[in-house]
Amino acid sequence: MSNNRVSRRQFLGYTLTGVGGFMAAGMLMPMVRFAVDPVLQQKDAGDYVLTDQAVADITEEPVRVDFTFEQVDAWYTSEVTNSAWVYKEGDKLIALSPVCKHLGCTVNWGGDPEQPTQFFCPCHAGRYEKNGQNIPGTPPLGPLDEYDVQEQDGFVAIGQVKPNTLV
Amino acid sequence: MHFNSKDIDLYASQKDYVDTAVVPLIELDLTASGMKASAGASEYLQSLTVILEKQFKGRILLLPPISYVRAADRTELGEQLKKELSETGFKHIFYLTTDPKWRSVEELDNVLWLPAIPTGDMDQSFKKSVMEDQLRQVLPLFTKEWTHHS
Repeated sequence: MSNNRVSRRQFLGYTLTGVGGFMAAGMLMPMVRFAVDPVLQQKDAGDYVLTDQAVADITEEPVRVDFTFEQVDAWYTSEVTNSAWVYKEGDKLIALSPVCKHLGCTVNWGGDPEQPTQFFCPCHAGRYEKNGQNIPGTPPLGPLDEYDVQEQDGFVAIGQVKPNTLV
Repeated sequence: MHFNSKDIDLYASQKDYVDTAVVPLIELDLTASGMKASAGASEYLQSLTVILEKQFKGRILLLPPISYVRAADRTELGEQLKKELSETGFKHIFYLTTDPKWRSVEELDNVLWLPAIPTGDMDQSFKKSVMEDQLRQVLPLFTKEWTHHS
């Protein structure tokens, strides 16, 4: 037997403090978790989608790179495959969106045999320079959009679309 | 463009550029033996028209598939479709189908008949390459029509 006899008053005091502490913690913990949540959010390579195109195979000639992601449209989830035209400018990777700025057709590199070094839109003969600059006199009104792009383990990873920064 | 309200708004404002309608024609075979083939053909045709729309979004309006039963009178259906579409401003109208009976229907011009490929059992990447091969067969027919009659 211990010599410290615990009185009834002390026993009740300890018990209430303990239980009260648990309850307070139970209420505070979620609040703290909510408050710090943005800091804890994982940033795994942003929203980059890894493709199966090796960076080493990319030259100054644009190549089409497909990438697939899931898209939720109301209750319907579907796998969407988009493409980008990727090429190297020096050592820098550049990825352009293939969506024509006129009415949204898909443009092709060298699609017009007479202009092998331009992007060509087959719908209304819109043309773009290699850096996405639209050629005056053709229907498109702006340059092709650009994708954020980076190298991940030797492969091309494609991120968010953004307005063209090259022209 | 797809046949939805958002794209139709855009179509209405850009009628001069969107001058081509694409109409998929799908035969419904609901017999126990024919159902799977019919579903496969429908899946194939719809995937094909969707990637076609993606390529030529700014120039074609993809209508929802016209489905009809096996016994439907193709000639009559063709006439009705032709009449309805003639009241629109489309300069070019393409009908895409896997149903061989349309080949003998004289009413419609530009019926592209394609043999259905059962893509349902293929894995994603193989299916994609098959569909892109199919698309490459169809694209020149469109560009040819556009350059000849524009």
